[in-house]
Amino acid sequence: MLTQTLALCLDAYRELNARKLFWITMGLNIMVVVVYASLGINERGVTFWHWTFDVPLFNANLISPELFYKLQFVSWGSGLWLTWVAVILALVSTAGLIPDLISGGVIETVLSKPIGRVRLLLTKYVFGLMFVVLQVFVFSLGCFLVMLIRGDTFVPELFLAVPIVVSFFSFLFCVCVLLGLITRSTVAALLLTFLFWFVIFMVNLGDQIMVQQREQAIVALEDAERNLENQITLADRFIERREEEGRTIEDADGNAITGPDEQRVAMNPALERSRQRVPEAEQAVETWNTWSQRVFWLKTLLPKTGETTGLLERWLISQEDINKLFEERTGVNPGDDDNDGPAMNDPRVSRRVTEVFRSRSLAWVLGTSFAFEFVILGIATLIFVRRDF
Amino acid sequence: MSDLALDLQHVAKTYRGKVRALQGIEMAVARGEVFGLLGPNGAGKSTLVKILMTVISPSQCQGTMLGKPVGHKPTLSDVGYLPEHHRFPPYLKGGQVLDFFGAMGNVPRRERRRRAAELLEVVGIADWAKKKVGGYSKGMRQRLGIAQALMNDPKLVVLDEPTDGVDPVGRRDIRDIVARLRDEQRTIFINSHLLSELEMVCDRVAILVQGRVRQQGTLDELTEGQHRYELEIVPPQGDASDALDVLRGALPGEVTEQEPPKLPAGTSGTPPVRAEPNAPPFAKRIGFLGTLADGTRVEIERMTLRISTSDPKAVEPVIDRLRARGVTIRSLQQRRPSLEDLFMQAVTDPETGMALKPGAERKTKGAR
Repeated sequence: MLTQTLALCLDAYRELNARKLFWITMGLNIMVVVVYASLGINERGVTFWHWTFDVPLFNANLISPELFYKLQFVSWGSGLWLTWVAVILALVSTAGLIPDLISGGVIETVLSKPIGRVRLLLTKYVFGLMFVVLQVFVFSLGCFLVMLIRGDTFVPELFLAVPIVVSFFSFLFCVCVLLGLITRSTVAALLLTFLFWFVIFMVNLGDQIMVQQREQAIVALEDAERNLENQITLADRFIERREEEGRTIEDADGNAITGPDEQRVAMNPALERSRQRVPEAEQAVETWNTWSQRVFWLKTLLPKTGETTGLLERWLISQEDINKLFEERTGVNPGDDDNDGPAMNDPRVSRRVTEVFRSRSLAWVLGTSFAFEFVILGIATLIFVRRDF
Repeated sequence: MSDLALDLQHVAKTYRGKVRALQGIEMAVARGEVFGLLGPNGAGKSTLVKILMTVISPSQCQGTMLGKPVGHKPTLSDVGYLPEHHRFPPYLKGGQVLDFFGAMGNVPRRERRRRAAELLEVVGIADWAKKKVGGYSKGMRQRLGIAQALMNDPKLVVLDEPTDGVDPVGRRDIRDIVARLRDEQRTIFINSHLLSELEMVCDRVAILVQGRVRQQGTLDELTEGQHRYELEIVPPQGDASDALDVLRGALPGEVTEQEPPKLPAGTSGTPPVRAEPNAPPFAKRIGFLGTLADGTRVEIERMTLRISTSDPKAVEPVIDRLRARGVTIRSLQQRRPSLEDLFMQAVTDPETGMALKPGAERKTKGAR
């Protein structure tokens, strides 16, 4: 059994090696690490080699080198390079593993050996993932050393990128394997996997929009309620002042107004508008909440690619650091805003959205994604086991 | 331990519930023999081989291979297989191919190295061991495929079209390898279209037609009662019809003439394939077909008289008569049907004299 596994491992390495993309991706990895190492931060702003770019809101006075390197790693090191470019290269490199295995003339020889089909498929699958393990490990190691040397920070949590990015890749790779089995074509499997990825991306985008709108509506409701309270307080002050002056409150025809609520409206006409805004805001919250719930349930069925990579940010950068960044960048404290409605880029909305995504449980993010992967791999295995070649 | 390397019973395969590739195969292959599987295209040969190799799952199968049920994966450690149209990963070198498939067959590393070097020598491509198989010719790939099939020192070797794409020298080499394997008491199961090749190496054969075994046994068993004598005379003066008269006149007793098989209505050109061994196209023949008083079949074609009997005494009166008339006999020989003759018999409908339709049978509505 070990002999067969080692042989499959060696064969997977030879196959990937023959494709050249393995080494191209590795070279690019190292290049990105070099760029990462070239970045730095000082009192004036960001440095690249010996150049300094003045950035008032992004300098060593506001951000520690540790946080700077963590942010760079999370934003473009992992967020852009590892989970986009490197994953695309990895999919291109590994998409042919299964179609090549099941092509005529190859599969007959392999299946005639004393190895079970389930083990054969799953071993091939695992060695496909090894491609990404090696790439991400090398990248993480490089970034870890950069942080240690340039940022003077020991951040072993950086290696969490390996399981996170490999999990992310595996959610797509399992689909690629299933499609490769069904279509028997590398190109078709690859294109359909990209299409699937695009669908996930769109659902993620929809989720972000819905959550953003919901949180914006909640903030708007809070603002409307606060505004209503302010208007009531203002009206009460006016009424008190009238009473102190010994004057009655009259309508346009000169009749005295006795009801307390009517008195408030008469003294502060803006109160009526504020009252109307509250149910409107409540309605908006309810509407966006319904939609965001629907998208959430749809997302539950699909792999959570965005949240999975977001885990790295969650684990590397604390909520306090995030809050601090928002405050430093905007100088706005929550609760200060008395405007009619929050804007899309309102820091309170941004912070609430970030909190919503960061509060999603690990069981939901990874558990349901692995459940999806398990189901897809199960279907692929069933097809592979039952198929006549 | 069973004396049979393969003991197949009720092996059936129906694809997608419609195409009946195999319909109850019964086949026995003894240990240590070379067994040939013949059949026209679509007869189900490859399906049968793939069922044995677990590449295809049977619809029904009660057979055993090396004493274990067909489909028992660990048994495949003792089986070597050369698939038809096999393809090796082009990024591997010859030696790496053998090492990989040897490892897949659970052969220990040291043993793999030893056997790979030995087998590359045996199949004659030792010089190519360190070259990538992408650059191999078809014949070399076939040789490498055979070496691959032998990496696990198998007790049963299944070769699917082993001489496909191999030149005459290579074919002879492969025959030698098969002979060597037989001498080593291994069982060899060969599926091939090259009947002459099979005839040279096989102890027993089975002929598969439309998913059923039509004939099975040794060549002697299969040709029993089908021997004949062929007598050729020196052409007498005159045309071929004179020879026909001379030969007819030499037949003893009362001779009943038979009608030659007719072409079915609507057909023209190519005559039907006849059940008679070695029968040339009927339209080209100038001759006679009939039976003697004792029912022995006789046929005259140009200068040759064929008497379907294995009894030499049946020929003596004919020789006496010809000699009495001063006819010179050029040759007299006893012949038995070749494997090709047997094959043609098997694929011919005895009622119509037509070749059976190639390919598997399709299930029709209501058919069980």
